[in-house]
Amino acid sequence: MTRLRAGLLALAMVLGLALFAAACGGDDDNDGGGSPASKDNVDLTQGKDVTIAVITHGSGDSFWAVAKKGAEDAGKQMGVTVKYSESANDPQKQAQLIDSAVTEKVDGIAVSAPNPDAIRDSLKKATAAGIPIVTLNSGAEDYQELGAITHVGQTESIAGEGAGQKLKEAGAKKLLCVIHEQSNIGLNQRCDGAKKGFGAVENVQVKGVDDIQTTLTEIQSKLQSDKSIDAVLTLNPDIAVAARDAVKGAGSNAKVATFDLSGDVVKAIQAGEIEFAVDQQQYLQGYLPVVFLTLYKTNANTVGGGQPVLTGPGYVTKDNADTVAKLAEEGTR
Amino acid sequence: MTEAIGGGSSAAAAPAGAPPTPEPVADERLANISLWVRLLRRPEVGSLLGALVICAFFWLNTDSFGTLSGIANWTDVASTLGIMAVAVALLMIGGEFDLSAGVMTGTTGLLLGLLTTEWGFSMWPAIVVTFAFAALVGFINGYMVIKTKLPSFIVTLATFFVFQGLNLGVTKAVTDTVRVAGLGDVPGYDSASKVFSNTFWSPHNFRLSVVWWIVIAAIATWVLARTRAGNWIFAVGGDANAARNVGVPVARVKIALFMTTAMAAALVGIMIALRLASVQAGQGVGEEFTYIIAAVVGGCLLTGGYGSAIGASLGALIVGMAFIGIQFSGWNTDWRFLFLGVILLLAVLVNNLVRHRAEGARR
Amino acid sequence: MTATAEQTPLLEVRGVSKFFGNVIALKDISLGVKAGEVTCVLGDNGAGKSSFIKILAGVHQHDEGQFLVEGDEVRFKSPREARERGIATVFQDLATVPLMSVWRNFFLGSEPTVGKGPVKRIDVKQAQGVMRDEMRKMGIDVRDPDQPVGTLSGGERQAVSIARAVYFGAKVLILDEPTSALGVKQSGVVLRYVVQARDRGLGVIFITHNPHHAYPVGDRFVVLNRGKLLGDWRKGEIGRDELVKMMSGGAELDQLTHELERQLDAAEAG
Repeated sequence: MTRLRAGLLALAMVLGLALFAAACGGDDDNDGGGSPASKDNVDLTQGKDVTIAVITHGSGDSFWAVAKKGAEDAGKQMGVTVKYSESANDPQKQAQLIDSAVTEKVDGIAVSAPNPDAIRDSLKKATAAGIPIVTLNSGAEDYQELGAITHVGQTESIAGEGAGQKLKEAGAKKLLCVIHEQSNIGLNQRCDGAKKGFGAVENVQVKGVDDIQTTLTEIQSKLQSDKSIDAVLTLNPDIAVAARDAVKGAGSNAKVATFDLSGDVVKAIQAGEIEFAVDQQQYLQGYLPVVFLTLYKTNANTVGGGQPVLTGPGYVTKDNADTVAKLAEEGTR
Repeated sequence: MTEAIGGGSSAAAAPAGAPPTPEPVADERLANISLWVRLLRRPEVGSLLGALVICAFFWLNTDSFGTLSGIANWTDVASTLGIMAVAVALLMIGGEFDLSAGVMTGTTGLLLGLLTTEWGFSMWPAIVVTFAFAALVGFINGYMVIKTKLPSFIVTLATFFVFQGLNLGVTKAVTDTVRVAGLGDVPGYDSASKVFSNTFWSPHNFRLSVVWWIVIAAIATWVLARTRAGNWIFAVGGDANAARNVGVPVARVKIALFMTTAMAAALVGIMIALRLASVQAGQGVGEEFTYIIAAVVGGCLLTGGYGSAIGASLGALIVGMAFIGIQFSGWNTDWRFLFLGVILLLAVLVNNLVRHRAEGARR
Repeated sequence: MTATAEQTPLLEVRGVSKFFGNVIALKDISLGVKAGEVTCVLGDNGAGKSSFIKILAGVHQHDEGQFLVEGDEVRFKSPREARERGIATVFQDLATVPLMSVWRNFFLGSEPTVGKGPVKRIDVKQAQGVMRDEMRKMGIDVRDPDQPVGTLSGGERQAVSIARAVYFGAKVLILDEPTSALGVKQSGVVLRYVVQARDRGLGVIFITHNPHHAYPVGDRFVVLNRGKLLGDWRKGEIGRDELVKMMSGGAELDQLTHELERQLDAAEAG
């Protein structure tokens, strides 16, 4: 009786997994690279199956969701398979994901490099296996040394400086810079840049995108305890929305500006609740590396000429918000 | 064995006036136990089944999972998890939790990094200091749990917050950034890497941490099954009062277990720091629950007194296989956590079901 | 086999008192037990039995009086010390770990080892063999060596604790309410174990609030009430009914019965 039950249970587990796989396996790009001839648009693959691995340090928030869409759209349009994965800011996991991409012998690896030291070894192995690399979003200073063809992104310190300057021009005297990811070097660079461009900047650490409610409370209490703050700069669209609510809740007159866009941020800009958003156009950061790597593979093209390909800073203000709004709703801006 | 005075050695020779002693009664309720049922009673059953099913599943459904390089990938992920899962399992069997285990991998890594890149230590002395530091932290954790008599959940949660703050605060104060880098240039880095973090078997690149993991799991299993200390660990977790009453040094056992988890965290922290040649301030935060889950999947009871180091290792293996397996399958990674959760739940359920059936009616 | 009057008691307390703050748990308790004897300590809940047993077991220390083991004055700082002097206490919760197997419980704290240094390990075969032998002497055949203690019946678990105490050379066996949680038949079986232990030369202190269980096996009876000694009789000096009456508070119960009857009368009249 016991034997039978144990056997039935094992069988049930296997069946369960198989069903699960069938259900989930359907709605992804697994079959995207199957037969290029059956896809419309430009046929660049020349009959070859191309797989590009995109490995970022994201945590599933709205910023990275746009980048992911960019990568997946590029895959569909180029007729290649895109495998997108995120390491949730864990450098060891990112290294392990790169290792597994090398095991799979993918045709190209696009990585964000917030911590270049951590992934250097794994990228070396990729290069040794003949897999081309493009860095995106972070790692602008290190991409050449990491062996990447080019870097697609925005220089954080310069963008930060620009944002700081704009807020200074708007008349603010004291700026609160909100850092939401404790170990992200890029975010720190933005705030450092803002300090250069603005002057009196105070950084504050908040819980992050996993707990927006607490983040809101943290910003609000900061505003209430320090009434001299008249400008808030956030570094993520979800945090920006929380900051806007916090400013309202604290009864403050502080101007809110942010890095990076989302549908809600654009709406807030249209409503005048957020001054401007520094847009690094992360859709391009997902889209372009896929294109570059595919062209490298199929047409031996190298893009960039040894320089990074800049996707920002672009500024979204009340003037151009309407145009951008619709696109942000669709998740591509 | 002392012979009773006038009582004789056999139960039958009872002195006059006393009630007659019974003949040994074979308990008819104790049916003969077959080997199969005895195996099914073991705490590792659920995790073994889960591991086999998942392995078979990904092996058959992907090209890379079953290749040597693929195996190197998922054993890599499983190994650092596994070392911690084994240590945490030992502690759970002893009836306690250590919620600071995850953040300690960061603290110890950061300490190693700061000692070597900021304060002039070379690698090996820094490693010794790091282990000593971890032993001290473990001792303090254990001592506080014993002295305050508060649940270890609470005490180690406090430790967790303390270290989470220190990790970020000290790193920022000393380096002005949120990570410690440059370990690659420290004297002793190469030799230390050869021991802790390098790879072997060239094109496939299996990590040394896998070897460490297997050895540690083997030692832990042997300690639990065959040594006095192991017996004491089960007793202290099952009923600390009963253990104390027969003379088991409960406090010493628990403190030793806390020191074990802390030092295991130091080992893992060192491994990661050497591998990445850098340490991020947020390292390890959140992992403590993965260790506990791996231990529970492996058969450890949350209430203590029962469990298995092999089971915890299998639990860690399941997590590692799932992580890389999903990668290889190209599934939408948004579903990754859902999948992991379902697998772990199934493994725990199977554990319970099979064991209950195998044991028959239990009080 | 009965002890002679000249033998030194294995265990004796003289004028022992225990205070917790300003609560008097025990006052001026004197009793003893000799080899091959059963001393029953009777008392209702709250009489001070548990404080008393904890002093004997080494969990607490007495505040007044003397505590003698084989004629030597002692003051135990831990249960371990008491155990080492041959005093084995079987607490109500049985001091067994339910999830562990019988042999592991049996040898807990005194595991037989083989080998030295890092390869020092438990001699499992010997442990299992000895456990089976000792349990057989109590009348129980443990077939499956890895059977968890929690699957045994209450009486059998008592047997494990008693067998363990006897095997490890206990001179005095203190049983704390061994029959309280058991059914009628099981209680009978445990009483048999008590007698067996006595017959093997141990001194047994049998603590209970059930005089019906105490009476058949006791050689000496001591009644505690609110921390004080109400009386001390040898078998033959007191009858069973008298003991029961003494135990249940005698006069107090009579008055209560009176009151209840009167209320009943009043109810009927009204």
